[in-house]
Amino acid sequence: MTTFGRTDVQPVIQVRDLTMAYGDVDVLRGVDLDIHRGEVFALLGPNGAGKTTTVEILEGFRQRSGGEVSVLATDPERGGDAWRARIGLVLQSWRDHRRWRVAELLRHFATYYPDPRDPGELLALVGLTDQAGKQVDRLSGGQRRRLDVALGIVGRPELLFLDEPTTGFDPQARHEFHVLVELLARDEGVTVLLTTHDLAEAERLAHRIAMLVGGRIRACGTPAELARRAAAQAEVRWTADDGTPRRERSEDPSQLVWELHRHAAGPIAGLEVRRPTLEDTYLHMVHREADGTDGADGTDRDSDEQAPAA
Amino acid sequence: MTNRTNSWRAGLQRGGIELRHLLRNGKEMSGHLTNVVVALLVAAYIDDDVPGTRTPMDHLILAGFAAYLLFQIGLISLPQILVTEREEGALLRLRATPGGIPAYLVAKCLLVVVVAVGTLALLLFAGALVVDGPLPHGPGAWLTLAWVTTLGLLAVVPLGAAIGAVLPNPREALALIMLPTMGLLLTSGVVFPITALPVPVQHVAAVFPLKWMAQGLRSALLPDSARTAEAAGSWELPMVALVLTAWAALGFLLAVPLLRRAARRESGSRLSARHRKAAQSGALPA
Repeated sequence: MTTFGRTDVQPVIQVRDLTMAYGDVDVLRGVDLDIHRGEVFALLGPNGAGKTTTVEILEGFRQRSGGEVSVLATDPERGGDAWRARIGLVLQSWRDHRRWRVAELLRHFATYYPDPRDPGELLALVGLTDQAGKQVDRLSGGQRRRLDVALGIVGRPELLFLDEPTTGFDPQARHEFHVLVELLARDEGVTVLLTTHDLAEAERLAHRIAMLVGGRIRACGTPAELARRAAAQAEVRWTADDGTPRRERSEDPSQLVWELHRHAAGPIAGLEVRRPTLEDTYLHMVHREADGTDGADGTDRDSDEQAPAA
Repeated sequence: MTNRTNSWRAGLQRGGIELRHLLRNGKEMSGHLTNVVVALLVAAYIDDDVPGTRTPMDHLILAGFAAYLLFQIGLISLPQILVTEREEGALLRLRATPGGIPAYLVAKCLLVVVVAVGTLALLLFAGALVVDGPLPHGPGAWLTLAWVTTLGLLAVVPLGAAIGAVLPNPREALALIMLPTMGLLLTSGVVFPITALPVPVQHVAAVFPLKWMAQGLRSALLPDSARTAEAAGSWELPMVALVLTAWAALGFLLAVPLLRRAARRESGSRLSARHRKAAQSGALPA
């Protein structure tokens, strides 16, 4: 992770105090982000938290209300074709070019880029070689999404936006997709900004995760850091001598388990230690926002006085 | 500069591929061919002459259908294609692609021109072969056919693109365009002499391009003697050129900003919102 902390290189995405208002409604209230080359960065948050708005501002599809945004050293509002050529996009709602054949579509989109990938190799990479002659219409949901990924990376982008990329994938397809994203980031230095509702996916893929709640980044860090920060207590579960299930939260689960063992002088039935998960962190953040109360960890830049987005 | 040539190349390639898909798509092809077949059937069943002339009525009808085909491709087919592709996300994908939007426009122009000219040629040649339909007599008439077709397309294609840029979705689009188009088909003197209509109706129809496209094509396809059946007793070719040019100018003035706006407004969330809406309207029976 330390390689991403380098300060001598400008981050691929740099956002300072980004704000967005639609009329009277503040959607983004000062977002800061730094995403570095080769990093897989996940943006999490409940619906309506401003995720989509943030990503569309970064993609150059929306004008912001305020703040500084730099994507590949360019303001997205002024990004021309040369800038576009360095960016790849995979959206969940694409169902275009239905009549085209898979290889035909990929070959066509390769012509727009100065240094495209070889369409044949790309089909192999996303596992669509057997479908090359098929009409896009006839692909399964997972195949269609893999084609979208292939179209997203055909121009060798330095930065790839993935919007809910594995919705509707079966576990096998999801696994293959994850391997592909890891490969792109590791071997080719592609920077990936992933938005997802799938916390397991974020944990699996992302080097760092930011949680966007109520128009602000509420937490940002590695999955492990996030989990530690929010719900620092692990949960220990076991079955008591009388057969009733017991659970207890502890800062030091090892100590608790050791004491349990000493007390019982033998094995303990149903013993289970649950480390705080990313999901705990996420729910904690979202609930805190909904309650309008501040967290105990004090990582926020301010205690918010705004009305919660009930 | 290289970007621009690349957009042209990509656009031509794209238009060629789309044409191939169209030719292979039986349903859509039969849609275009049905128009031709209907025109030929109507022409075959009518034996009269145009009142007051010795020109067969079916010649007037075929010339009118030819104008209507051009009109329909610009103002019905094109908006529908644009709205559908916007809804499916093709426009957004091209917006996210370097040089994608210019290539898209080049491809659509190529597609529309080839389909329009192809259908027109098919109608005229099949008409000439099967029902003894009209063809231009002499180079002057061919020239008139060429410029009326070109100006006619220029009058309706940008306008159709502007309409396609603002219409909400393909389902409502068809309903919104069909009614006025049908109205114009009946009031523009396309399938019977316009003089059969009340004068106020003639005046209203004269504002729109279809009447002038049909009149211009009649002047290219019918013998000169048939002009006595026209409202003005002549072909009024300068007026044809003027009205069609005015519509072309208006179309371009509307299409450029509206298309730009439509492309600028495309984003992933708008696309998803439209899909949700489509799914809802499909789920709830009307």
